[in-house]
Amino acid sequence: MGLVEFAAAKALASSAAFLFTTLLLMAAAKRISTCVVLFAVQCAVITAEILAIAYVQRSGEVLAVAILVLIVKVIAIPYALMWIVKDIKAAGEVQSSTTPAQSVFITAGLILLAFFAVQPYARSLRVDMNMLAAAIALLLTGAFLMVSRKKALMQVVGLLVLENGIFLAALITTFGMPLIIEIGIAFELLMGVLLMGIFVFRIRDTFEHLDVSKLRSLRG
Amino acid sequence: MRIAISVVQAVLLLLLAPLVRGVISRIKARMQNRRGASVLRPYQELLKLFRKEDLVPATASMVFRLVPPLVFSATLVATLFVPVLHDSALLGMSGDFILLVAFLAISRFFLMLGGMDGGSAFGGMGASREALVSTLAEAPLLLGLVAVLIFTHTTSLSTAAHWELLQGFSQITAVQALALVALAIVAIAETGRIPVDNPTTHLELTMIHEAMILEYSGPSLALLEWASALKLTLISALLIGLFAPWGMAAGMSLVAVSIGLLAFLLKLGAIVVAIALLESGMAKLRMYLVPDFLGVAMALGILAIFFAGMTR
Amino acid sequence: MAMTLLLPMLIPLLGTALVLLCRPARLATQVAVAVGVGELLAIANLVRNLHRAASGVLTSPYFRADHLTAFFLVNIAIVFALVLIYSIGYLRHIPEGRFSSPRWFYALLFLSLFTMVAVYLAGNLGLMWIFVEATTLATALLVGFYNTKGAVEAGWKYLIVCTVGIAFALFGTIALYLAAVRSGVPQEAALDWTTLMAAAPRFGGSADLVKVAFVFVTVGYGTKIGFVPMHSWLPDAHAEAPSPISAMLSGVLLNCAFYALLRFESITTRAIGSGFPHMLLLIFGGLSVIVAALLMVVQRDLKRLLAYSSIEHMGLIAIGVGLGSVLGLYGALLHAFNHSIAKCLLFFTAGNVRENFATLRMDKIHGMARSLPWTSGALVLGSLAIVGMPPFGLFISEFMILMASFGAGRYEIAILVLVSLSVVFGALLYHFQAMLGGEETTRPAHSGLLGTEFAVISMCVVSLLLLGLRVPNALTNLLHLAMGVLQ
Repeated sequence: MGLVEFAAAKALASSAAFLFTTLLLMAAAKRISTCVVLFAVQCAVITAEILAIAYVQRSGEVLAVAILVLIVKVIAIPYALMWIVKDIKAAGEVQSSTTPAQSVFITAGLILLAFFAVQPYARSLRVDMNMLAAAIALLLTGAFLMVSRKKALMQVVGLLVLENGIFLAALITTFGMPLIIEIGIAFELLMGVLLMGIFVFRIRDTFEHLDVSKLRSLRG
Repeated sequence: MRIAISVVQAVLLLLLAPLVRGVISRIKARMQNRRGASVLRPYQELLKLFRKEDLVPATASMVFRLVPPLVFSATLVATLFVPVLHDSALLGMSGDFILLVAFLAISRFFLMLGGMDGGSAFGGMGASREALVSTLAEAPLLLGLVAVLIFTHTTSLSTAAHWELLQGFSQITAVQALALVALAIVAIAETGRIPVDNPTTHLELTMIHEAMILEYSGPSLALLEWASALKLTLISALLIGLFAPWGMAAGMSLVAVSIGLLAFLLKLGAIVVAIALLESGMAKLRMYLVPDFLGVAMALGILAIFFAGMTR
Repeated sequence: MAMTLLLPMLIPLLGTALVLLCRPARLATQVAVAVGVGELLAIANLVRNLHRAASGVLTSPYFRADHLTAFFLVNIAIVFALVLIYSIGYLRHIPEGRFSSPRWFYALLFLSLFTMVAVYLAGNLGLMWIFVEATTLATALLVGFYNTKGAVEAGWKYLIVCTVGIAFALFGTIALYLAAVRSGVPQEAALDWTTLMAAAPRFGGSADLVKVAFVFVTVGYGTKIGFVPMHSWLPDAHAEAPSPISAMLSGVLLNCAFYALLRFESITTRAIGSGFPHMLLLIFGGLSVIVAALLMVVQRDLKRLLAYSSIEHMGLIAIGVGLGSVLGLYGALLHAFNHSIAKCLLFFTAGNVRENFATLRMDKIHGMARSLPWTSGALVLGSLAIVGMPPFGLFISEFMILMASFGAGRYEIAILVLVSLSVVFGALLYHFQAMLGGEETTRPAHSGLLGTEFAVISMCVVSLLLLGLRVPNALTNLLHLAMGVLQ
């Protein structure tokens, strides 16, 4: 095997490890822009997986999905998020209700939980257990980020990580759903992020801060 | 032959240690747009200190005088456990990682005693801070080492390096990445570099290691400074041996050992540059954030052990 | 053929674009009314073609319509017509802003209509998911329309909570897709509802996967329906939105999400039997009913009270389906229909209250019976209807559901439902009596109902009476055919 192919195969085999690394780094991050970059890296890893599947199955449809994910999730959505972060100058810092070490601990715990949850299913579904555990870990960590972070933009990032996990789980178990569905889902995600961006601006304008833990006037 | 190589190894580390310090300072100076002192400056410092008089505080006890040679020899003995040029260290045996950690702990313990024995307030402060940092750093250190050892199916550091040499590049996994990051964080804490401790500070309230050796002078101070530099080189060699041992001599031939020497110097250079860049790029953490920093290392260590157990 | 299916979706989409082009408000209103009429005609056309089609099904790639679709489309047509007529008068009171003009309102309204009709017409589970998510996105801006602190907070919460929920529903959809593919269904057809219904008995091998799929789908779409404990967004969103939008949300959107759940439930029941799915529906339904009823007692805002009432009724519908019998299912579907009209009535009344008193806090409003007699009358009739009093329609559907629970031997469900209904009755009595009686505290701004509002409210009352006294034959037929689809 050539060196390039060897390196590519090695990189793919450890893509689960890359995903875990991005999760841990996201948990410990102190700035929202760091999290957005890490999200882009996660999506890039997932795109690499899709490309590998397209190569193995020699399927043009899967290749189209890979290009779609690349454009929407690796480029468009992080760009939109970074634009929002720059435009709202107060949104630089991640305000978390847990310290970085606690977040890393909890994320590590969630990763372990994901492995335990996936064990009975991986064999019966005949998929790589590491990747399935990575998908579930993305889901759980996304939920954790949404709950523990107080800035509105971080909730959006947590939501995107959660959706990434679901998308990855779909990818490795089904090797791609019909193309039109994939296009619809990607478009939806983009629209969703744009809409959330609009709302972030509105929150900033009406409340003059972006701390969603302070949005508690409607209760009961 | 093996003993000869090991003696050469130990002397090499001993002689390289001040150079490592010098190069780091020079690179940092260059990054701050200064010219910086010569890389041989630490040697000149040591020679200068050996020629000076050894002043002992009036209130100090025997412990104060015992500490420098004790710390120096403990660190020197610790180097005999680490595979540097050759993939079997002189004292490499089953379970030697515990002895390595123990010797490092002995040197640290006596350093703390010496700091308190000096009678100054800063010595005590440095000792208590060092106690906190080292307590928190011990667990990730052991966890990281054990994770690598589980992964390589051995109990000795030398055998682990040997195993990794045999595997070539095909066995790089998440375990090693996690253990590397955990041990790197611990290394920063153990050797007292930024962001845990600033080795070049002159403000006593920001010191940890420097505060403990504040009262020493002359040859005692020289021994302590040399021991500190040796510890930095030792831990770097440990990381290289465990995570990037390629190039190390597997056999006893002169050619293999020379290649091993060259490879080691290259990798040490890379680590030195990395340390310099890290120190220039980050600010020192405030003391109450250091446990947080080490907590991250602990979490990564636990994760590394878990993955190691799973991939067996 | 394809045109019949696509027209009800294309007209609102076209309407969005057209309305956005009309800058003057009067022109926008006229265009909106025209588009609304067109949409009603398109839906009527579809239902008529459906009746004429021999197999009772219209299909085209990706879209399909059967009698269940027709039933819900009739529902959305009626509610949408009411909402549109009401909006024409109500919009005068919305403060003008850059994005708060009538043309934006109508544009977003038609966009939401498009997404909801598309949910009903989707024949592919993946496409249905896409459009359910699209309803969230389309209605989020409507919820935050007033741009006040409360509205923005409610819109944000709505967007985030529902997107997370629907992401879980996607997970469930994928799990079902996986189960289908593993049982031998070809990949391109494994999301098609007809294919899945036919192949479902073969899914027994992946029973675990089907169960996981249904749990995730119930939690996911259940968030959109408003099941407790995923309901946190509902009271905020329905309270802070403009009243016609609240009526549409409570009346149609909840039904839309329930329709998606029904489609999944029919496949799951065919695959692994009705025990597991029905138990899940009963649990969520029962929880929603009792929690919503109890929370209604402590509410201080009128529209939040009505929103909790919606949660309670959706729980009731879930119970009806979960009981499993023909009577239960019939009652549930009829209840969905009745509830949407009754909720419209109540929200229109609430809108009028807000216009006149500029607040919806029930403790700040007194003596309404004297100052706004027509509005108070509507409120009384509405609350009688929503509680399930004869001769209004909800009595019949609730009675059917209760009979079904007795018939299935589920006495605990029956008792739960009866207790909740009593609590709701008490709560409404307590709140409204405080509002209607007593001394007049503030003079109302206007004299009462506008022409359009009066017309719409009376239409609601009349339909509810009609449904209560004698369900029209056409509706009964449609219901029977719809149930046939699900079994």
